[in-house]
Amino acid sequence: MAIDRYSYPFTAIVGQDKMKLALVLNAINPSIGGVLIRGEKGTGKSTAVRALARLLPDQRVVEGCHFGCHPDDPEDWCFECRQRAESGPLPSTVRRMRVVELPINASEDRVVGTIDLEAALKEGSRRFEPGVLAEANRNILYVDEVNLLDDHIVDVLLDAAAMGINTVEREGVSVSHPSRFILVGTMNPEEGELRPQLLDRFGLCVDVEGIRDLDQRVSIVEKRARWESDPNGFYQQHAESEQDVRSHIAEGIATFPEVDLPREILKLVAQISIALEVDGHRSDLVCARAAQAKAAYDEAEEVKVTHVSEVAEMVFAHRVHSVPFGKGGPNLGEVIARMVGQQ
Amino acid sequence: MSTTLDRHSYPFTAIVGQDSMKLALILNAIVPAIGGVLIRGEKGTGKSTAVRALARLLPEHQVVEGCHYGCDPADVDNLCADCRLRLAEHGVLPVHTRRMRVVELPINASEDRVVGTIDIESALRSGARRFEPGVLADANRNILYVDEVNLLDDHLVDVLLDAAAMGINLVEREGVSFAHPSRFILVGTMNPEEGELRPQLLDRFGLCVDVEGIRDPDQRVLIAERDADFKRGDHEFLNEFAAADHNLSRALAEAIGAVAGVKVTPGQTRLVSSICVEADVLGHRADVVIDRAMRALAAYRRHHTPTREDIYDAATLALAHRARQPLRREDDETGSPERADDQEGSRPSDSEASDPQPSQSESPAEASADQSASAADSGEQSAGSDQGMTTGGSSGHESSPDAAEIFNLRRIDLPRQRRVRKQGGKRAASQTPDRRGRYVRAEPKAKVNDLAIDATVRAAAPMQRDRGRLEGERLLLEREDLRQKVRERKVGNLIVFVVDASASMDAEQRMAATKGAILSLLQDAYVRRDRVAVVIFKNRTAEVVLRPTSSVSLARRRLEKLSVGGTTPLTHGLMAGYKVVKTELLRDPTIRPLLVLISDGRGNISMFKEEPLVEAQKVAGLIEAESIDCLVIDSARDYSHLPSVQHLARVAPMYQTYAINACADLAERMGARYYGLYDLSRDEIASAVERELGRSAR
Repeated sequence: MAIDRYSYPFTAIVGQDKMKLALVLNAINPSIGGVLIRGEKGTGKSTAVRALARLLPDQRVVEGCHFGCHPDDPEDWCFECRQRAESGPLPSTVRRMRVVELPINASEDRVVGTIDLEAALKEGSRRFEPGVLAEANRNILYVDEVNLLDDHIVDVLLDAAAMGINTVEREGVSVSHPSRFILVGTMNPEEGELRPQLLDRFGLCVDVEGIRDLDQRVSIVEKRARWESDPNGFYQQHAESEQDVRSHIAEGIATFPEVDLPREILKLVAQISIALEVDGHRSDLVCARAAQAKAAYDEAEEVKVTHVSEVAEMVFAHRVHSVPFGKGGPNLGEVIARMVGQQ
Repeated sequence: MSTTLDRHSYPFTAIVGQDSMKLALILNAIVPAIGGVLIRGEKGTGKSTAVRALARLLPEHQVVEGCHYGCDPADVDNLCADCRLRLAEHGVLPVHTRRMRVVELPINASEDRVVGTIDIESALRSGARRFEPGVLADANRNILYVDEVNLLDDHLVDVLLDAAAMGINLVEREGVSFAHPSRFILVGTMNPEEGELRPQLLDRFGLCVDVEGIRDPDQRVLIAERDADFKRGDHEFLNEFAAADHNLSRALAEAIGAVAGVKVTPGQTRLVSSICVEADVLGHRADVVIDRAMRALAAYRRHHTPTREDIYDAATLALAHRARQPLRREDDETGSPERADDQEGSRPSDSEASDPQPSQSESPAEASADQSASAADSGEQSAGSDQGMTTGGSSGHESSPDAAEIFNLRRIDLPRQRRVRKQGGKRAASQTPDRRGRYVRAEPKAKVNDLAIDATVRAAAPMQRDRGRLEGERLLLEREDLRQKVRERKVGNLIVFVVDASASMDAEQRMAATKGAILSLLQDAYVRRDRVAVVIFKNRTAEVVLRPTSSVSLARRRLEKLSVGGTTPLTHGLMAGYKVVKTELLRDPTIRPLLVLISDGRGNISMFKEEPLVEAQKVAGLIEAESIDCLVIDSARDYSHLPSVQHLARVAPMYQTYAINACADLAERMGARYYGLYDLSRDEIASAVERELGRSAR
């Protein structure tokens, strides 16, 4: 599902800087693994994700490919592109990275893809009809209220997210195709928790709250009103700042692989993970990538301690074990501050 | 088309640490008859990465060319039907050499694709019912890999178990009757947080390893650095580890050649058996697996006969999921019994466990030799695994400070409930408006409202010629072809706690115990979609303090503020709990409610102007009549040994008036299982609830 062209400008969103940063970092380096936005109703979670769509970079894709394969990346091609390539070079085209929505009531066959009804009934042939996971390849996959997603859909999502491949062995079709996406989810924790396995798949996590500052609240209402009465004019007013963020993202994409990741920084990251007693090693990898993306966004040549401290909370917020009824357990902010302070 | 795992697979030798996981995989590649490996562990520890990486190291073997099942031309007894035919016709089979593969089984696979089904195209063309092979055919003589194997649907587990047990896949469906060989190495990964594996399936895995995150900062840095190099496609990195992988692959091939020559003495076989006896394993699979694993290990480490280390290392891997007693290493030359004792109760020392790794990675040329060396002095690692055995491999969790004093909070595992959506009755269609749930199979039905296209086309295909369909025309469907989707979805449990908050000696403990139990239950709620509600009764009334929820944070906040005091309006409490259950059943008739009463059963406030005890008994009868599953936990310290009124009435009617156990009486009337709170101290409420749900599931 495409997002409305006239979505609210990203840079017109008041406050919620962490949420915005998390989204931008993922746009720069998709292998950060997406972001989970937790928070109360009406805090601009969905607005921000939709707004991000307009700031995303253009990408080259194989023309007519269901999966948006990259023309220069034969190893990652889908089965169709492989076949087409045998009879000559693939035509390519440029498109903007998109936000693909996964509605929580989506059925499994629509998510993973299914047998093509028409072809089956007309010719009795089993053709594969791609689903949301195909569309999401090389795009953002957005799940509103991700904690309410049916369990079996979550399983499928996890599988695809882990491998970057969607393997379908059902309804008579046997197909696997690339499905690498940036997973962006929102949830209201009051309505139930997220399975830890899925939680861990989100590279970053930010908690958003309603803004308590009176002036800011007023400004939110005013901006909203202006946007609703004249979306075009409102957008024009923000065109410059939007362009600024867009070009920073584009530059970040180009430069982040070259940003130096000193060993001391990696060590710091590891120490934070150890102090916070998180499971596994994904946190280390995500933190390094996020800090690198942040450095690239800031046009730095090397990852500094400040870059780590700016992203650490987002990396660890959802990975620290919560202690029921206890005050004990490591305190996120404290541990990060202490670790960073030692540097 | 099959899944390719190449480009994005991280080099096997570049995986830092996790030596026992790597070793278990390697041993299976050397001797497939070991029977696979289950990798259990926390998130993000490289479980899946390792399995995928293994694909590149697998040995080559000979297959019959053009055979769907990859039959072994030398193994005439196990040929598939096609190959038998070809052999009989031509006297010789064409041979082809290919690499052993990792075949993935996605957990949402449908049964027809797993076992195979009718070939639609040949049915359309000639009307013939030909068999089209599925995943189990691909898996023959290969590795069958199931990520998150504990989440696999039950019916698929049954299929897998069947095939694994016989080495044959028997298909009887859709008019196709077929059998083909399906011997595979089963490799699964799982995160125990997400639920346990069925014991039967567990036992099918030859080996099992528990993996944990590495705590050593330098190692972690190394992991991050290599990851960055890999992501960037660093040439130096890729070349270095491609060479290391190649060397390891060669070492594997050598070991495969050497296995047959490994000598095992009767004394060694006795040692294996005595280890199994001491570990108190069920059945004899463990002995067989250890025997194979130690041969593979000896071949890999270039020993002519398994050393004591080889035997114990093999036993450690084979017993992790089977031992009911911790494994001890006897007569260890290095004196490791003391060492094992030293480490008991503490985490295995990380530096020790991971020490050998750097040397291995820095000199890839000697990778295999180094690895065998590192494996050989990995005696320390078994201490870690020992610990895993007794605790079931789950990583320790911080427990709540107050509740922990009485109740050992741990993750509990409620049995997973699945219920087929009911379709009975004439008005069933309107009663199941949502077509949610996973499509598991299809069946013919008088009235089809959720069409299974694939099954319908398959049913129609063989008839097309007879019905006069011409090439290129649309399919001719008849009512009898239509197939309905059978959907399954997990049905969550609803656990309603009815807790006595009246003032008494044990009030505080009661509350602490309840909080502990609720939180413990909620820890797994996200997996099962279980929900928990809490009703508190004290003074003159009962209150629903926690509406049915699966949110831990909400429960924590609501339960934090609870206070105790006042009289005991037991009837009010039971009624409120009963109402919660009824309301939820109205909303969703498929839920499974369980009512848990925690009280001393001595109500002293009347709700309907009757004797409080009698009132409570009546409500108990009501609950029983509705056949709501119940559990009664008696919080009184001293009464639990006393007989109930009902029991007393049977054995000694004249003593009815005194010395009764009101709570046990209620339990009998509710048809509930009865526990004393203080008996549960070691055992905990949560596992009682777990047992209860398990019992009523059958």
